[in-house]
Amino acid sequence: MPSLKDIKTQINSVGSTRKITSAMKMVAASKLRRSQEKAEAARPYSSRLEEMLASLASSAASGEGIIKLLTGTGNDQNYVVVPVSADRGLCGGFNSSINKETFRLVKSLEDDGKNVQLMPVGKKSRDFFNRVMKDKILDSLADLNVSVNGYDAALQVSNKLQELYFDGKFDKCIIVFNKFKSAISQEVTKQQLIPLDVSDSSKEENVDDSAAKAIYDYEPDEETILKDLLPKNVSIQIFKVLLESDAGEHGARMAAMDNATRNAGEMIDSLTLKYNRTRQAFITKELIEIISGAESI
Amino acid sequence: MATISFDLVSPENLIFNDEVGMIIVPGKDGDFGVLPGHSKVMSSLRPGRVMVYGEGKNLLKSFFVSGGFAEVNPEKCIVLAESVDEVNALDKSSIEKEIQELSGQENDMAKEQLGIAKAKIDAIDSNFYEKV
Repeated sequence: MPSLKDIKTQINSVGSTRKITSAMKMVAASKLRRSQEKAEAARPYSSRLEEMLASLASSAASGEGIIKLLTGTGNDQNYVVVPVSADRGLCGGFNSSINKETFRLVKSLEDDGKNVQLMPVGKKSRDFFNRVMKDKILDSLADLNVSVNGYDAALQVSNKLQELYFDGKFDKCIIVFNKFKSAISQEVTKQQLIPLDVSDSSKEENVDDSAAKAIYDYEPDEETILKDLLPKNVSIQIFKVLLESDAGEHGARMAAMDNATRNAGEMIDSLTLKYNRTRQAFITKELIEIISGAESI
Repeated sequence: MATISFDLVSPENLIFNDEVGMIIVPGKDGDFGVLPGHSKVMSSLRPGRVMVYGEGKNLLKSFFVSGGFAEVNPEKCIVLAESVDEVNALDKSSIEKEIQELSGQENDMAKEQLGIAKAKIDAIDSNFYEKV
């Protein structure tokens, strides 16, 4: 049976843990709000860019050079998978769900006979894949800090990917990230980044757009614009992913810390109960000793 | 007098959004002015100044963009730019320093940056279109 002093120390230590977790929760909540605002602010640009792209994409025939970002290399043998995780832990299942999903994706692509390589973004996935499949890592990036560096962070990823793509290192790129659904829930999402997947977003718009699009003048011409637009689109997609993942991270951390704070509270309650019981047991024991002592006289 | 709605958007935020009288945009093949009722144009941009005028053709704002796209239709003009600065907020001495650092380098990135920095200096110095 633990002594009263032991229980007291335990209560104190759980108490200070609770303080830390509740402070982390507050920090995560305020960071979440900020990164949500950022994600909101990025929306007009990306939606306009997508609209432009949708109206141009149909005009692109297969071609060489930059157009390949849209049309693909004509192969689908070599894949690169980009898991986007956080740089820090203590955010529940946020990082491990990314790693697990990526792992599963790699395995299933390999079962189909494809070559798969990895380019982890974020410390947690980099460290994980460095342990489990080091030979597959093409490159990795960490400490991007999208909430501070903004668009430049996305450019780093995008430039590296495009460099590798035009060197012919891969044919298809799939990004795996946590999509921000609400402050407490994230959804692991896979998105094909290269070549650009226009089929789902542009189809329904194209129907009513086709009349309007026909009368646009293009300066200098459609192909040149498309060539400018495609690399930017890759960057903006990555930017969006990074922002979503950042907001998701803070949301996940907030939820995890909220849980931890609650658990610590429950633990303190049960420890306090135990403390009181033990104290009462001591008192009772002493009383019994005194009474039985007095009776025996 | 008629107005046209003008959006200036960067990846990080919406910088300008209002009804204006005229905009001058640095198209890849040359600057072009956009008035209300302009025909539909889609253009890519070179580094340069985006000038915004009020209804009385008075200069409201002048921005530097490092490139991007413009989409124009009779009611609306949208400029998507990767980086946007107000021309008045640009600091000439720090840009000149940047030019000196970049001019020694050979890679494509540096060359592109250099082009943008030079265009910034031009934007500060030029007083084209200040009165129209």
